[in-house]
Amino acid sequence: MRILARLFQVFGTNKTSWVGLAMFVAICAMALLAPWIAGTDPLEQDIIAKLRPPSAEHWFGTDEFGRDVYARLVWGARISLSVSISAITLALVVGGTIGLVSGYVGGRFDMLVMQVMDILLSFPALILGLIIVALLGPSQANLIVAIALTALAPFARITRAPTLIVKERQFVEAGRALGFGHGRILFVHVLPNIVSEVLVMASLWMATAVRVEASLSFIGLGVRPPTPTWGGMIRDGFENILDAPWLCIYPGLAILALIFSLNMLGDGLRDATDPKLRGE
Amino acid sequence: MSGAVDDTPVLRVEDLSVEFRVRGAWWPAVRGLSFDVARNETLALVGESGCGKSITALSVMGLVPRPQGRVGSGRILFEGRDVAAMREAELERLRGDRMAMIFQEPMTSLNPVLSVGFQVSEALRVHRAIDAAAADAEALRLLEEVKIPSARRRFADYPHQFSGGMRQRVMIAMAIALKPALLLADEPTTALDVTIQAQVLGLLADLKSAQGMSMLFITHNLGVVAAIADRVAVMYAGEIVEIAPVARIFSGPVHPYTEALFRAIPRIDREEQSLDAIGGQVPPIDRMPPGCRFAPRCPARRPSCEASSQALVEVAPGHSVRCGVRAPAGARAA
Amino acid sequence: MIWYVAKRLLAAMPTLVAVLTVVFVIVRIIPGDPALTVLGDQATPQALAALREKLGIDKPLLAQYFDFITAALTGDLGRSLVSGRPVIQEVVAVLPHTLDLTISSLVLGTALGVPLGVWAALRRNRLADYVIRIVSLVGLSFPVFVSGIFLLMVFSLHYRLFPVIGTSNLADLGDRTWKLVLPTITLGLVMVAYITRVTRSAMLQVLSEDYVRTARAKGVPARLVIRRHALRNALIPVVTVVGLYLGINIGNSVLTEIVFNRPGLGKVIVTALNQRDYAMLQGLMVIYCFLIVVTNLLTDLAYGLIDPRVKQA
Repeated sequence: MRILARLFQVFGTNKTSWVGLAMFVAICAMALLAPWIAGTDPLEQDIIAKLRPPSAEHWFGTDEFGRDVYARLVWGARISLSVSISAITLALVVGGTIGLVSGYVGGRFDMLVMQVMDILLSFPALILGLIIVALLGPSQANLIVAIALTALAPFARITRAPTLIVKERQFVEAGRALGFGHGRILFVHVLPNIVSEVLVMASLWMATAVRVEASLSFIGLGVRPPTPTWGGMIRDGFENILDAPWLCIYPGLAILALIFSLNMLGDGLRDATDPKLRGE
Repeated sequence: MSGAVDDTPVLRVEDLSVEFRVRGAWWPAVRGLSFDVARNETLALVGESGCGKSITALSVMGLVPRPQGRVGSGRILFEGRDVAAMREAELERLRGDRMAMIFQEPMTSLNPVLSVGFQVSEALRVHRAIDAAAADAEALRLLEEVKIPSARRRFADYPHQFSGGMRQRVMIAMAIALKPALLLADEPTTALDVTIQAQVLGLLADLKSAQGMSMLFITHNLGVVAAIADRVAVMYAGEIVEIAPVARIFSGPVHPYTEALFRAIPRIDREEQSLDAIGGQVPPIDRMPPGCRFAPRCPARRPSCEASSQALVEVAPGHSVRCGVRAPAGARAA
Repeated sequence: MIWYVAKRLLAAMPTLVAVLTVVFVIVRIIPGDPALTVLGDQATPQALAALREKLGIDKPLLAQYFDFITAALTGDLGRSLVSGRPVIQEVVAVLPHTLDLTISSLVLGTALGVPLGVWAALRRNRLADYVIRIVSLVGLSFPVFVSGIFLLMVFSLHYRLFPVIGTSNLADLGDRTWKLVLPTITLGLVMVAYITRVTRSAMLQVLSEDYVRTARAKGVPARLVIRRHALRNALIPVVTVVGLYLGINIGNSVLTEIVFNRPGLGKVIVTALNQRDYAMLQGLMVIYCFLIVVTNLLTDLAYGLIDPRVKQA
């Protein structure tokens, strides 16, 4: 409940984060409601109606197989969101745990772990994702793991810092005396301190995750066709860019809107919560 | 004894009010402030933190932080010209040349990425048409004047390579580079330890007598006041409550606040005078009492104190007090 | 200064080994058989075994690691499975194109981003500041392949101002520059956005510092205060970010090269991907590690130039 209260407090003060949140929720709703709002089947081909420009019948036109771009766009939101949400959740859980354990154990182990995290952080997400997916083959699971790896370090940092502080404090000793386990101590005393920071990082890194997923799909390392993905749609559309620019324009705008909403959300939250973080 | 020219004060502040924006409204941090600083005189501004002494100095320099602060009304006559009405370009010509300021924090007041030598010579380069070599030579002379050991070798060093006391000397060298008519010193010794403090004070006193400079010296340390001031102005909550020659204020303070300040025996090695005897705190800027601002904490308080604001009344030549009880308007002490 | 450079260079070697180690572990830790990825599931066991031997992935893990590190440090990155030429040769042939692009976009990003950030900071909470903040947030939300394609559509296809194909003749400087314009803008936009934002917040921080007030108290004119006293200090965090995003830039150049059909590391990667040239990919991975370590090194050296406190430490 303390966490929820903190959430409201954080959101209430900042307009930018509200606008970002609204846009993000709208895109999520679009993905969830895809079966009802897409109109047609995104995979249904219609050779006669191929490369049609936007019209009343096909709002965003059709692609080279006569598939409805609007329907593919709506369904494509699912891939962008599910890959990035899973990747960031994974990064949050694994990275967060690494930070907790590393900070709690301390010493040389902590130093080593943090050095590895620094190296991961200095690796551009796209290149790391590219290498991993290239060597292991493109699949949704590999994609998620690759993107999660690039986002491990920031979450490890977030949980490590307060762990170091909590470790020094008296009430941990008191907690131990009462027979609480390490896990419970950390969970109760560390997590509430970092809720807003986690939110900021999660939204900013989710923006990166969406970008990397779309980029890898554009390169041809994303989720396999015929599943519609925004990056993949642009990849296919790029071949017909002279005749059918709408094939690139609409998915391009969709990607932009999603990343922009997340950046707004993260940026607004950051300004609202911690002025010290500004400019990082 | 003296001609008409020498009688004009270097600095004359008339009915100055400096305001700050708090939740959308402007509140005076300093109000109705008037004082003079004569040629070759040191006036000490004394008071607790937040009483408006630093703001006063900043407004003389035209450095009141914007956009949250502004000079609301009044005049600041420096060598006869109103600083408060000047455009920024005019101010820039005066600052660092005719008037200069030393700040409280030597650790953060020097630019970390510029060499000490350059920072000292900068004012010379800005205000005088001299070449870099001449500016450097003069800067080196200044560093030697403020007694930086092996100044020549350390000329190209950076601030982080200097100690706090050395940095404050560098700040002083910067401030006196162009022999200003007025030096504003905002607690220049507060951040230093005792021996260094005495050295820096001695240095300032030497410079003052050598160059005929006037000083507005801000401090909350009464030991320092005794060591350096000619006259003392005691400030409380943005107003002068008592102003008098230094000997007089030490021997016979009139205002209850001044009394309380002086109750603790002033010693140069004390950082802060204890005001526990009076209790309470300076009221916040947006919640000033309507009458005497010191009334809520005052041991000599009477009901009338809280009704109307008090006027500064001259109780003796050169000695004025703002207190309706100790120095009622119309009364006159011999 | 020379000592500082030498010290940094020495310190970079362990970093390189560390980076290579991390990459090696990541690649090996994730389950999957590269031979299977290369040859597909129709391949015979013999073919798979032969490829594994050729790639050296049949050996024990520790031996593989040792081979990998030695090879990387001696500059022997193996040979392409497809062309049979040494990886390093293929990379060196296209490197100038990628460097052109990365460096020019960095220059663009700094040349526009720093003044814009300073301007926004000086106009804090006024219209110009809001506009710059929103526009830069949009700018860094663009994946480069999307902004690249949009630019291509407008300036090459619609207005026909710039060539569609980016392959340029390295010896012809005019041609080389001409074909660099759109890719540079594409990649530079992200840089501009990042640098603007960092410069803005760094300037806001620095402008409230005591030493800026000291400079004003000396009568230093406002313009000089901003340039000499504030900006030089604000550039310290900017350098950090530029260093960090130089890496991202290297990644983004892959996408830019694809969109503008330019030769470069990105094209080499994509070709290797399509041809399932595993040896090439592994070699490229080392090249990228190397580039990232070099980037970090350059960032450190830039610190030394700007901040006198760094050399001391």
